[in-house]
Amino acid sequence: MADIVLRTRNLNKTYFGKVDTPVLFDVNIEIVRGAFTALIGPSGSGKSTLLNCLGLLDPQTSGEIDFDGRIIDAPDVNELAAFRNENIGFIFQFHYLLPEFSAYENVLLPFWIRQGRPAAEMEQEALRVMKRIGVAQFRDKAVSELSGGQQQRVAIARALVNRPKLIFADEPTGNLDRESGRSVLELMAELNRESNITLVMVTHDREVALQADHIYELVDGRICKYLDVAKTGKAEAARAIEDRSCTIKPPAGNGA
Amino acid sequence: MKSKKNRYEWMIALRFLVKGKGQTLLIVLGIAVGVAVQFFLSSLIGGLQISLIDNTVGSAPHITILPADRAARAAAGAGSASDSGRALHEEWTEIHSWQPYVNDLKQDARVRRAAPVANGSGFIERGDSVVPVIVKGLTAPDGLDIYRIKEKTVAGIPELSSDSALLGRRLAERLTLAVGDKFFLRNDRGDQVFLRVGGIFDLGAAAGNELLVVAMDRVRSFFAMAGVSAIEVQVRDVFSAETIAREYGRQYRRVKLESWQEKNRELLTALSSQSSSSVTIQLFVIISISLGIASVLGIAAVQKQRQLGILKAIGTTNRSASRIFVIQGFLLGGVGSILGVAFGLLMAFGFVSGTNAAFGLKITAATLVTPVVLALLASIIASTIPARKAAKLSPIEVIRNG
Repeated sequence: MADIVLRTRNLNKTYFGKVDTPVLFDVNIEIVRGAFTALIGPSGSGKSTLLNCLGLLDPQTSGEIDFDGRIIDAPDVNELAAFRNENIGFIFQFHYLLPEFSAYENVLLPFWIRQGRPAAEMEQEALRVMKRIGVAQFRDKAVSELSGGQQQRVAIARALVNRPKLIFADEPTGNLDRESGRSVLELMAELNRESNITLVMVTHDREVALQADHIYELVDGRICKYLDVAKTGKAEAARAIEDRSCTIKPPAGNGA
Repeated sequence: MKSKKNRYEWMIALRFLVKGKGQTLLIVLGIAVGVAVQFFLSSLIGGLQISLIDNTVGSAPHITILPADRAARAAAGAGSASDSGRALHEEWTEIHSWQPYVNDLKQDARVRRAAPVANGSGFIERGDSVVPVIVKGLTAPDGLDIYRIKEKTVAGIPELSSDSALLGRRLAERLTLAVGDKFFLRNDRGDQVFLRVGGIFDLGAAAGNELLVVAMDRVRSFFAMAGVSAIEVQVRDVFSAETIAREYGRQYRRVKLESWQEKNRELLTALSSQSSSSVTIQLFVIISISLGIASVLGIAAVQKQRQLGILKAIGTTNRSASRIFVIQGFLLGGVGSILGVAFGLLMAFGFVSGTNAAFGLKITAATLVTPVVLALLASIIASTIPARKAAKLSPIEVIRNG
């Protein structure tokens, strides 16, 4: 039995407004600890919405999220914020660093928020992560002085520094040129392999998705395919992605 | 632990302000000018009022105890108004048992000085002219001190001996009398006494400078008074005079007490309307400071939406987000008001050295601290508007809208 760190049960999301827009329908997925899971699907299929729900940024309309044993159904906003701080790292398409702070300070932000002044070992950890990611030389630079790729690396360092249980990445290379995009992805794949980080990534790039251990495909807000790449092999997975029909049921649907 | 956790809020607030230099500078200057005006205005008006009050009562009694009307005295059995020898002076209502009153008053800690005074009117002959004078019989030292005669003496020695007199400056000029000159003082019965000019004083006020001051016992015997004309009292806190007068008025049934406030109603009305106009100006200054802060921080809250969204995504609570803005308000108010007090002090020194004002500024802890506290409060209150906005912002809005 795989070690599941996050599981959803009949997750629904509707945006209420003048016209109510249902986005997700009874989504059941499982995220395996230490694995790289890709969420794919055409634009407007609800990938980002799902990611934001899983990342506890956007509350679901109904259904349940089991985050490593903690059931999240009607959460308190402030409690959730603290929970995110300790358990989740985010990497967004737009780097979302604070322009008022240096690269190093941005990496330290999660520590600041958690406990005010970070302990010396946390500062060391931040530097270690920055070194690993190749941004240590920009330590005291203002983030506005960095290139897009460098900024995204700083954002990755910030997501990693807290040693979160889960890292959510939403098209992390979507705003980068091809070359830096490739190197950022390589870095994330490496990090996933070497430190057993659980990574959930939204991408529309099939090449990227095929690097993952597990692939969920969303179509119109429903899980359409689930691929266990390790089991099926990359070639079979690639073929399955090409197939337009929704044949594979996600394992979470079994309630196993 | 909690205060440690708040430290990052301070850091972020400070960084937001430092990075938004232009905006921060403008609002800090705005607060500083407001505080400076407030401080300067209140010191100026305070100084002006002190000087007005000092001119009015600084060298005058605060409470005057006068004899009650004669009927009341007769009923009380005091004095002997039927003495034909003093028929002329029956018009002078007098306090006969003044000593107990003076002793009693002097025991009150609120009372600085209490002294009997004997007033009379007489004539001084000088060459061809006969000049009517008001004669004030004072005791030393209290009686003289009430009028600050020692400080205000411009020539001679401010002492009272049995044959010396102190003259108001105008009177001395009119009579062309100098220190050491001798003259005759006559009363309306035709008695006369030979006096020497011991000193000349300048009380500033026209009426005071027409006085002829002589030792009280001299005046009493010269005008054949059995008692004294009044008891003059100076209290430590001038504004408590009315209360103290009323209090003693209830005890002293046989005399009439009058405070300086009762005699100077118009001045007091003028002072209080001056104060209230200054308060009104200060109020509007505060309101405009608050509006300025609220609008600048309101704009900042919109500008920093993205940052707030990120911070919230990675764990900043709503409460922390709003505190970041309240802290900004506090920092703006604090720096602005300290700068404002500095400006205000500069303005005050400029005013004192640059103009020949007849009065100084009243700079006290209260005039310094009040505008600072008010500006700080206004800043913090104004910052709650953007703070609420910051608390309400949902991180997903920022993230969804890129």
